[in-house]
Amino acid sequence: MTEYLIRRTLQSVLVLVLISLFTFMLIHAAPGGPRQIFLSPGLSPEVAKIQAHNMGLDRPLPLQYLSWVGDLLRGDLGYTFKNNIPVGEIIWPTVKNTMVLMGAAWLLSLVIAIPWGIYNSTAEYGLSDHTASFLSYIGFAMPTFWFGIILQEIFALKLDWLPLSDMYTIGKKGDIGNLIYHLVLPVTVLSLGFLAGYMKYARASMLEVLDQDYIRTARAKGLKERRVVFRHALRNALIPIITVIGLDLPILVSGAALTESVFNWPGMGRLFVQMAVAREYSVLMAIALITAVFVIVGNFVADIMYAIVDPRVKLSRRGGAAA
Amino acid sequence: MAPKLLEIKDLTVGFLTDKGFVKAADRVSLSLEKGQTLCVVGESGSGKSVTSLAVMRLIDYAGGVIAEGEIKFHGDELTNKPQDEMMRIRGNRISMVFQDPMSALNPVFTVGDQIAETLRIHKQMNAREAWNKAVDMLRLVGIPDPEVRAGQYPHELSGGMCQRVVIAMALACDPELIIADEPTTALDVTVQAQILELLQKLKRELKTSILLITHDMGVAAEMADRIAVMYAGAIVEEGTAEEIFERPRHPYTLGLLQSIPGLTGERGTTLYTIRGGIPGIGDLPAGCRFNPRCPHAKERCFREEPPLLPTPDGHRSACWLESGPEVKTS
Amino acid sequence: MSPTVSTAPSRGDRANVVTRAPGAWRTGWKKFKRNRLAVTGLIVLGFFILVALFTPLIAPYDPAKIDMMFPNLPAGSGNHLLGTDDLGRDIFSRLLYSSRISLLVGFSVAVAAVAIGTLIGAISGYFGGWIDSFFMRLVDVMNSIPLLFLNILVLAIFGSKFSYMILILSLTGWMSVARLVRGTFLQLREMQYVEAARAIGVSDWGIIFRHLLRNASAPIIVNATLMVGNAILSESGLSYLGLGIQMPQTSWGLMLSNAQAYMLIDPMQAVYPGLCILIVVLAVNFIGDGIRDAMDPRKKTLLTGRRFDRWRQSFLKSKT
Repeated sequence: MTEYLIRRTLQSVLVLVLISLFTFMLIHAAPGGPRQIFLSPGLSPEVAKIQAHNMGLDRPLPLQYLSWVGDLLRGDLGYTFKNNIPVGEIIWPTVKNTMVLMGAAWLLSLVIAIPWGIYNSTAEYGLSDHTASFLSYIGFAMPTFWFGIILQEIFALKLDWLPLSDMYTIGKKGDIGNLIYHLVLPVTVLSLGFLAGYMKYARASMLEVLDQDYIRTARAKGLKERRVVFRHALRNALIPIITVIGLDLPILVSGAALTESVFNWPGMGRLFVQMAVAREYSVLMAIALITAVFVIVGNFVADIMYAIVDPRVKLSRRGGAAA
Repeated sequence: MAPKLLEIKDLTVGFLTDKGFVKAADRVSLSLEKGQTLCVVGESGSGKSVTSLAVMRLIDYAGGVIAEGEIKFHGDELTNKPQDEMMRIRGNRISMVFQDPMSALNPVFTVGDQIAETLRIHKQMNAREAWNKAVDMLRLVGIPDPEVRAGQYPHELSGGMCQRVVIAMALACDPELIIADEPTTALDVTVQAQILELLQKLKRELKTSILLITHDMGVAAEMADRIAVMYAGAIVEEGTAEEIFERPRHPYTLGLLQSIPGLTGERGTTLYTIRGGIPGIGDLPAGCRFNPRCPHAKERCFREEPPLLPTPDGHRSACWLESGPEVKTS
Repeated sequence: MSPTVSTAPSRGDRANVVTRAPGAWRTGWKKFKRNRLAVTGLIVLGFFILVALFTPLIAPYDPAKIDMMFPNLPAGSGNHLLGTDDLGRDIFSRLLYSSRISLLVGFSVAVAAVAIGTLIGAISGYFGGWIDSFFMRLVDVMNSIPLLFLNILVLAIFGSKFSYMILILSLTGWMSVARLVRGTFLQLREMQYVEAARAIGVSDWGIIFRHLLRNASAPIIVNATLMVGNAILSESGLSYLGLGIQMPQTSWGLMLSNAQAYMLIDPMQAVYPGLCILIVVLAVNFIGDGIRDAMDPRKKTLLTGRRFDRWRQSFLKSKT
């Protein structure tokens, strides 16, 4: 276990370094270099030079990278170029908002998709299975943002049942009922996408298990079909499902840039798009890193859950599946 | 006369494919008396596994259908029993041992759990009683340290050990009939011998009847009281072990016997092989199903299908040959 | 997310792969033809490809021509089949021209990503060792970062050029193919005919591309098909966010972004482009699934469970 933890930690640090390096290099590879991006346009060359010096942009790249990482380690995510606001102040609230939205959509889709997929595996090509398969096809092929727009047109503009966008009605910030009211449409949009994937996965996983020899053994023992499916098959089918759920954990923060943009949801995905357009690189780099941290946590959780549900896996013996 | 333990009459089992209904077992008749071992011998694809799955009514789950015939267990018809009644028989009065022990055990439950589950279901034992009985069963099938082993998972045991666990599971409820489908095929040769020995011992001590499915005449020679030889979905010869080994009538049986190294041939002679391969269940020839491979096929064999006919010594063989093929020992 | 769990590479009779392959394709086509969804998908996609090819002949107006005299015309009025948008541009013409962009993006990204993925997967699977671990770690890292973020980041930094978009979508789309090709190669690497080929002096690369790719081609094609759909969706999303296709060019995603602002005036403007995306991606996914089912050696019978049950019941009834 200790060995596993050490190796896992080292791996995580490596991934973080790689991602931070990658983001950093990407920004410095931009045409015209970081100067053009970082400096306000329209400055005279002399002023630009001074500003570049003040921002440390004339130092060698490795030094710039190290000082950025050093700041990060002290919890300093940097400042925006416009208005010089601390990046943390911009990001953290959006992280919370995204988690509310994604968490609701994710949990809802899991709660529906997994039992439904499992049920469909026992009644292949029935009405329910066909419905689910139809939904999956639509969920995979429909642009989420378009689904959002259509829902807005119908439920917000035509019928006026639900709010068009935003997280709270003005003046009602913090009101849970109002929040749920605003959540309905974006959660519906996001859930359909998740639902399509998880349902198909749960069904496929169950079908594969139901085909195994040990299921025949279970039936040969005289077990009731319900017990065969829900005890013998399900325990095995859940192994890959749980692992996938763990690996998907990062979507809780990475959010949905598109859905958040459609519904004007003040989350991290929308922030990322806005900041990308505004070329606020310190914010972008910070978001990339926060996401990376969640990716690592997600992998870690997936590993641990895998070891819990599958007796064949021992953490100490397993090389981490995903870096 | 008391009904036989198991009596199968004209059992036809098949599958629906895109070519239509295909018979995997064609009018199979078998019977088994208490305490006996009946070996069903045949190449893979001869329909022997399908027959055994039909007896368990597990064929329903494999996409197959019992189209005709009857399966009587103590005179009790099984072919039209609803599944929930079959559940009380399966694992309790008839149980099954499968070919590949490593995949026949559920990887996420301990072996003790898996044995105990049968007991809890059929014998209404509580968890503790069932567990203790499971440990006893493991001891019975010759697993060392049964207390420890019961708490282990299948992947922690060897193939031979797993097969012992599967046998223990099959024996747990003290069944009247055990169906063993190629129980040694997936195992190493030395382990095969141990498992066969175990089955022999259990048969002697527990007086359980065994329906043993195998492709190996050697295994049949060791285990069988009676033997039924299956070819391409039908029984071609049936009799006591002695009759089959001493006085085989069907050319196919003879071929099987002759292709066992060291049984009829001497060292240094060419090993006998039956030419050709078993036809697919969809495309049987007209007449006798063995005619493309039979060295003695006559005109009638291509025209008419031979029924199982009694032979002079009282066993049955599905062959038109009057005198039976000569046993060639060269 | 890819719409399907990737299928295991086909494990057929290895000894005569060369003679078997054409037969497999032919029987595959036979099965494909019987799959109604897949054939529908093929027809629909073919239709869209034809439309895209002949757009300049079909389109009644210049898609970029602004006519402020007639903005937001409803469908069917003033010789505009589907009306005009907020700048008086003909919506029908814009839809037609957009189909070219979408299909171009879809197919070029799929081809490029398959090329990259095949190359990396082949190298990984064939040579193994540290090369393999390096690439597989790379795949893991790529798979765990949200790719939309990466696409946005790159397009924001380097500017929204069409070629950049194709490049970045390809560079973030190769992982599944790489995994698949590597897996097939690991299985096939040990096969005897590869040994034999090596023994008669065929070079490593010769072996890779002649013998091994043949065996992985069916699942790769399935993956490529699904990637066409994904690329079309990504393009529309990026364009919707303003990071993809730029004016005066047009794409369905860009049209949606416009239409959202005029939802109150003309809601139908938002319906057409989305519907086009949905239909094209559905068609492509149907084709992909159709190929996968047709080439899956394990899927022997085409009978569905329900049909089978019905047949079984009538069969048993006729017996009693």
